[in-house]
Amino acid sequence: MAELMRMEHISKRFGTKLANDDVSLGVNEGEVHTLLGENGAGKSTLMNVLTGLYQPTSGKIFFRGKETKINGPRDAASMGIGMVHQHFMLINAMTALENITLGTKNNPSPRLNRSEDKRKVQELADRYGLEVDLDARVADMSIGMQQRVEILKVLYRGADLLVLDEPTAVLTDVEAEGLFSIMQSLTAEKKAVIFISHKMREVMRVSDRITVLRDGKSVTTLSCAETTSQELADLMIGHRFRESIYEKVTNPGEAVMSLNHVSLYPERKHGGLKDVSLSIHRGEIVGVAGIDGNGQSQLAQVVTGFAQPTSGTVDTPSGKVAIYSPKSFIDAGVADIPEDRNSMGLVGDMSIAENLILKNTDDERFSYGHGAWFKSRHIHEFAEQMREKNDIRCASVDQPVRSLSGGNQQKVILARELESHPSLLVAAYPTRGLDIGATEFVHDAMIRERDAGCAILLISADFDEVLKLSDRIVVLFEGQVMGTYPGKGAPVKEISLAMAGK
Amino acid sequence: MDTILSALPDILSATMRMTVPLLLVAIAELFSERAGMVNIGLDGLMSGGALAGFLAGYFSGNPWVGVLAGMVAGVLINLIYAYCTIKLCVDQVVLGMAINILAPALASFFYKVAFGDSSALAQGVQMATVSIPLLSDIPVIGPALFQQTPLAYIAYLLVPLSAMFFTQYRAGLNYCAVGENPQAADTLGINVIGTKVLACVICGALSGLGGAFLTLCYTSTYADGIVAGRGFIALSAVIFGRWQSLGVLVACMLFGFCDALQIVLQVNIQGTPYQFFQMIPYMVTLIALVLFVSKHMGPAANGQPYYHE
Amino acid sequence: MSAITDKKQRESLAMRYERIFSFLAPLVAILISFVIGGIVIACLGKNPVQGYALLFSGSLGNPQKIASSLVSACPLIFTSLAAAFAYKCGVFNLGGEGQFIMGAVASVTVALTSGVEGVPGILLCILAGIIVGAVWAAISAVMKIVRGLNEMITSIMLNYVATLFMSYVYTSVLRDGANPQTPSVPDSLMLYKFPGFRIHAGVIVAVILTILVAYVLDKTSFGFKVRAVGLNPLASRVNGFPVKALIFVSFIISGAIAGMGGSIELLGKQYRLMSGFGSGFGFDGVAVALIAQLSPIGSLFVAIFFGILTTGASSMQVGIAVPTAIVEIIRALIIIFSVSGMAWLRLPKTKQFLAVLAARRDAKPARAEGAMASVAGTTGKEGARA
Repeated sequence: MAELMRMEHISKRFGTKLANDDVSLGVNEGEVHTLLGENGAGKSTLMNVLTGLYQPTSGKIFFRGKETKINGPRDAASMGIGMVHQHFMLINAMTALENITLGTKNNPSPRLNRSEDKRKVQELADRYGLEVDLDARVADMSIGMQQRVEILKVLYRGADLLVLDEPTAVLTDVEAEGLFSIMQSLTAEKKAVIFISHKMREVMRVSDRITVLRDGKSVTTLSCAETTSQELADLMIGHRFRESIYEKVTNPGEAVMSLNHVSLYPERKHGGLKDVSLSIHRGEIVGVAGIDGNGQSQLAQVVTGFAQPTSGTVDTPSGKVAIYSPKSFIDAGVADIPEDRNSMGLVGDMSIAENLILKNTDDERFSYGHGAWFKSRHIHEFAEQMREKNDIRCASVDQPVRSLSGGNQQKVILARELESHPSLLVAAYPTRGLDIGATEFVHDAMIRERDAGCAILLISADFDEVLKLSDRIVVLFEGQVMGTYPGKGAPVKEISLAMAGK
Repeated sequence: MDTILSALPDILSATMRMTVPLLLVAIAELFSERAGMVNIGLDGLMSGGALAGFLAGYFSGNPWVGVLAGMVAGVLINLIYAYCTIKLCVDQVVLGMAINILAPALASFFYKVAFGDSSALAQGVQMATVSIPLLSDIPVIGPALFQQTPLAYIAYLLVPLSAMFFTQYRAGLNYCAVGENPQAADTLGINVIGTKVLACVICGALSGLGGAFLTLCYTSTYADGIVAGRGFIALSAVIFGRWQSLGVLVACMLFGFCDALQIVLQVNIQGTPYQFFQMIPYMVTLIALVLFVSKHMGPAANGQPYYHE
Repeated sequence: MSAITDKKQRESLAMRYERIFSFLAPLVAILISFVIGGIVIACLGKNPVQGYALLFSGSLGNPQKIASSLVSACPLIFTSLAAAFAYKCGVFNLGGEGQFIMGAVASVTVALTSGVEGVPGILLCILAGIIVGAVWAAISAVMKIVRGLNEMITSIMLNYVATLFMSYVYTSVLRDGANPQTPSVPDSLMLYKFPGFRIHAGVIVAVILTILVAYVLDKTSFGFKVRAVGLNPLASRVNGFPVKALIFVSFIISGAIAGMGGSIELLGKQYRLMSGFGSGFGFDGVAVALIAQLSPIGSLFVAIFFGILTTGASSMQVGIAVPTAIVEIIRALIIIFSVSGMAWLRLPKTKQFLAVLAARRDAKPARAEGAMASVAGTTGKEGARA
């Protein structure tokens, strides 16, 4: 099969950081080529170089055998390279059709001719079996359809090489199967796909060849038929990977919080809760499984007091909750690892020390007279202590927390939230975007806290994470509880069906 | 009450006239915000345009030279804003604020350089009105609507033109994409930086034009503070008009009407301190905002810096 | 040295560079602005060196002149603290002028009608100014909290309303005979003046207030929460802070400070209301706060610097006939250059550049000073291009 694209010895430097270090990658026509690597291994940087958003510091790119320089996204598109980003690059206020035709010159007239554009796009969609409502606004679409809009956008620009960045992270298993068949119809027409993922099962299922990246370097390229998922995992991490296995708890203590028939925005299909009942007990981890956007965020909002349910009650050992405010929930011993650590968990421009005392500024350890005068020295000592204890890697506790890596930011949040020994910990997507080391750290901390008697509600889009940590698993689909399953010997097949609403 | 009724044609005509500067500047801001650039320096840009228009008109004797000068001044001043906010990613509001301090100071300085510290106002040129044949003969509304300066016709024409640009043309859609999601626009090959710079040029030119209207059409003199917060009223008109050309027109006409009304009331009603009439445009702006503005619904990436490699 | 500590040190060095440059930015901005101002003066055919000499001798030449510079800085100290306090909480109070004016209106009304004399009278006047300033700010604050309206627009609109209301007061209600101005406040209500100088006790009050604001923002839990809300309102809410209440209170405190400034200006310097009272102090206060990067102590110094410019501008106008507006141009340029310098420092590219610089210094410690000097030059160039 003919080679479509080859990147040779690509390096990309940001300041002192080498994001890509002598990476080489070749993709053939009609091939699904997987790019495998941990967060921060340099996959996104490499793809941004390929699509012209970044210029490589050194190295060469060949397309159809000719050396080329890709100066920008427009260049990449005109050559036939298109990318579907992990965070969709769509304009929510516009329709699918507008999003697809934006910026193109396929139709030379300066005036918009919507019906003709629509006919062309529809043709393309039918050809590859992409079901899209072209007149709907992106904001009103399901995630799956948004992704199909992204793929159409790339195809409409005549792409022969499609980069799909973690495309299945936001899809149900059924939707993912749909995506795989779309990929098949693409490769059948000699188009090539660069598939970025770290889900071994999928990688083994769809790939022709696999290139492993680690620490910004390309480790090796293997044919899918000649490797195993274990080998890939070891290559990705750089040493033999032994996943820790945690003991499951089957006899937890008394309930710390119970939701009784709780509804929040029940009229919404995505982003609402309908008649949810569940309780969380001392010394257990309740895992909430489900595809993103099925009410997980709203569940987290209710159990942290951020939102008041439209109907239903929340009970705690001291009675029914009357006031829904983060403050009253915090006072009642609820700790929170919010889903977006930058926008919800931390004040990025404040120092590490300040973020560590964020919730306790009135505490007599840190100030005289309930916040009337800060004890700067005590705050500093406390921060140093926390840094030691939680292995927060930083130059100084006075540096802004924004300058830390994601893993270290999460450690700051963990340190702050667990330091008060909460009775309930709400952990929403606690390892999103973290590398394996930091992920293990967070998992260990959660298990330690559970064993110390804390009740933990784990919300995660990563099904494997839920299976690994949960003592009990609750499945959410379109805001409803589809079922509750034991964590020990969890019925995986049944749970995946429930996640798809079956 | 009778006096007010008999003043109706006057009010109508004054409304049409007072709407013009607001409309020009509000459309300037519309173009700016559609590309994600919140510019609160409109007052400053207007005063720059007002002075440049006045000076050029005064020394050349030709109001059209003044118009051109006002637009050029607006563009030049707004290029400072453009460079700082686009290239250096300075907070747009902060820089708009700085323009509001810089431009009036420049205007005041050059006026004093040109005319010294004398208290008498220099008389510049005034643009003649142009009657549209037939239409201006309609009783009552004819003279009010169709006996305006050419700038007024231009301003009103900009409303359908801008509406068409944003909804009917590819370029307009691409332009809006920059204000909605610059990252996405960039990946689509749309020139984000170029669009933002263009937005600043359009905004500067139209704001300068709005300022020049004040010294070439509304009066024929320049005085410090002549803009009197019109830039901020135009800014509210964009919010109030929900970022749509037609909405902006309606909002500007409401505020223009208030401006006209206060002038007529001042002339016709004695006994009430005139300051209360002068408050009307500002109070109505506040009340209109309180009553009619719902949650923020402008372009999604409005006011945010775009960090590019 | 192990690899990890090596990297740590480099990061902290890059951070130190950043701190040094952010301190330098306003100073470089002032320098460039004066150079540009000088070029403008030269273009008018005047001698800029002579002009600046007059500017500074006219404002700092003798204790009397220094005193009047401080007196003209006084209202700016108040309005800049007002702007800084609100902006620390993430709200942009552009209504300092209106609050300042309404504070003065309240004070003059109390002074001329209450009949209370001496120190109690002064305290009463200032209290009235504080309350009315706070109430005037509260209008914008309520609109912001309840209706989500942009506080910049509402507070600007209220500036115009306040100016017109003041004009109504001195032309109709409390008019001093034929002149469009209020009568002077009674002698016993005028602030204490240091014998032989024009400087009044209000300047001391301003300095004390600056320290108080700095203390509240930096050393108290309340100030901490205000800052957190300003930097990240969502995270503040998630972490249990009453965000809306904090915004509301900050805005009101901001208005109270501005209103107090109006009272002090009235009782310490102007003694009566007339056309132009308070004009421009609101925006200039914002400018001062921005140049000072919202630091209260910094605002004090920048305000004094602005006061020096204002006082010196008249000497320059008298001496070489350059309009005083040149000083306002210089001030505006200072804001533009200093905020641009700060923004330049925050650009990802600059950060990478500083990191590279730090790494290079690690390698060649001896040449570090030279490298730093060249970067300072670059900052300047970036600013100049703006």
